[in-house]
Amino acid sequence: MDFGVRTGVIILGIETSTEQVGCAIGGREGVLASVHVTGGRRHAETLTPAIDFARRQAGIELSQVSIIAVGLGPGLFTGLRVGVAAAKAIAMALRVPMVGLSSLDLLAFPVRHSPRLIVPVIDAKRGEVFTARYRHVPGGVQRMSDYDVMTPDDLASDLVAGAEECLLVGDGARRYADLFAGDDRIEVGTVGTACPSANALVELAQPRALREEFVQPAEIEPMYLRKADALINWSVRETAGTVGAGGIA
Amino acid sequence: MKVLGIETSCDETAAAVVEDGRTVVSSVVSSQVDLHARFGGVVPELASRAHVEVLNPVVAEALVEAGVEVPDAVAATVGPGLIGALLVGVSAAKALALVWDVPFVGVNHLEGHLYASLLEDPDLELPLVVLLVSGGHTMLIEMVDHGRYRLLGQTIDDAAGEAFDKVARYLGLGYPGGPAIDKLALEGDPKAIAFPRSMLNEGYDFSFSGLKTSVVRYVKAHPAVDTADVAASFQAAVVDVLVAKARRAAFDLGAPGICLAGGVAANSLLRDALVLACKEDGRRSFVPSRAMCTDNAAMIAAAGWWRLQSDGPSPLDTPANPNLKLRVV
Ligand SMILES: [Zn+2]
Repeated sequence: MDFGVRTGVIILGIETSTEQVGCAIGGREGVLASVHVTGGRRHAETLTPAIDFARRQAGIELSQVSIIAVGLGPGLFTGLRVGVAAAKAIAMALRVPMVGLSSLDLLAFPVRHSPRLIVPVIDAKRGEVFTARYRHVPGGVQRMSDYDVMTPDDLASDLVAGAEECLLVGDGARRYADLFAGDDRIEVGTVGTACPSANALVELAQPRALREEFVQPAEIEPMYLRKADALINWSVRETAGTVGAGGIA
Repeated sequence: MKVLGIETSCDETAAAVVEDGRTVVSSVVSSQVDLHARFGGVVPELASRAHVEVLNPVVAEALVEAGVEVPDAVAATVGPGLIGALLVGVSAAKALALVWDVPFVGVNHLEGHLYASLLEDPDLELPLVVLLVSGGHTMLIEMVDHGRYRLLGQTIDDAAGEAFDKVARYLGLGYPGGPAIDKLALEGDPKAIAFPRSMLNEGYDFSFSGLKTSVVRYVKAHPAVDTADVAASFQAAVVDVLVAKARRAAFDLGAPGICLAGGVAANSLLRDALVLACKEDGRRSFVPSRAMCTDNAAMIAAAGWWRLQSDGPSPLDTPANPNLKLRVV
């Protein structure tokens, strides 16, 4: 079997910023193989076996991968770091460059054909959401705002005040769907649009790769958008210091 | 066989290459002490963020220093520790093992500490009594054989290192407390204040929270007391209990030697007292270098090599476990 990509660019995409773990392998011809596992939040257990499965299905060796693309979040810090740490390690080992994309961009891309204002919303927990706004442009979407973190109430009142037809996608949109239910100009996407996909990541990374818009692994950092809680609310040595933690059973 | 070890369980980002579980080829440790100092302790979220930032360069440096392009296996700490911090090292290690097509092996951080001593003295005779003391742990362990341990006792409240940190903070000595108290105690009289030696003659378990309370109570009642005397007397009380129990355990078990491990094993008084006690009893003492006492990846690579010999590789879906226990016989 020859996919015709072996001489071209092969992208490995990793996206773990929500409860979904995703990886995809592809190139100019699109996605050759991908694995998405939702639920359980067992990112560190799922990711490496998923990559191995995807690369076998794609019929390639990982040594053939020429670009590592990674979803930078914003999202769940712990899950996000699993993907970013793995992606950086792989890029280092293969000595290949990286492309980093916001997980909000990845949510907006699959619904790019919507004429509405596209508003991806990722659940940030603790009563907040990560969000940004996008519009359809030929070939994709264009981001119209900063990446932001806010309460779902603030987002809802902003959107209602904006009086524009919007499409909300992402796990945050679904979790807080009730807040947007009152206004029929606001549509909340189906469950299939809830998590950023690694397929979108590979597809979006492809033109960047052609333009050689790379970053080195050292420059890749998760998009946290929120200071460590500790900087606001000091907490010390939790797990490592509690009584009995790490003791022998 | 050259094993790359990766350690990110708390506030050190470390990588090392160790050959056949015995020879340290390279060992790189990037400490986050300065990052956490102003909070008076390790802040998990800050630790995790820093691990993501520095792990790649730390691993790269360990490989370059060792002159190794691709190691024969990758070992990483899978617990116990801070979950967010552990996940960074575990994810990177598995990814590296997958890309290089070499075995991955998950290592228990505590087992790593036990192997720190064997790395520096490969001829250490087993069984050994190991006193493992750090910010998170205080344990007395019998190392029966490679990979076979028996827990003799552990702290029922604060870890020894935690007691050092808390008392140092109370005395206004800053963080981390261990080195600060160690230094100040040199100028004080360890007999100035008779702090309690909790559970000195009972079993092998430890308790340090009462001691910490006594220090606070004493300083409140005697505001003019010399802080150096408090530090010296407090340290003497901790060390007395640690050494007395380790000594008794070695006696009860007929173990030929006692070995120190963990960050608190860098304490000067503890090191001296243990060596002296062993000399008196005609036992071997082993006190690893300070660099080997604190968290490092060489000990993880060494323990990983031994685990590979006994159990083979770990599956790539091995979880990180913040409360991982030492596997005992
Ligand atoms: Zn440790």
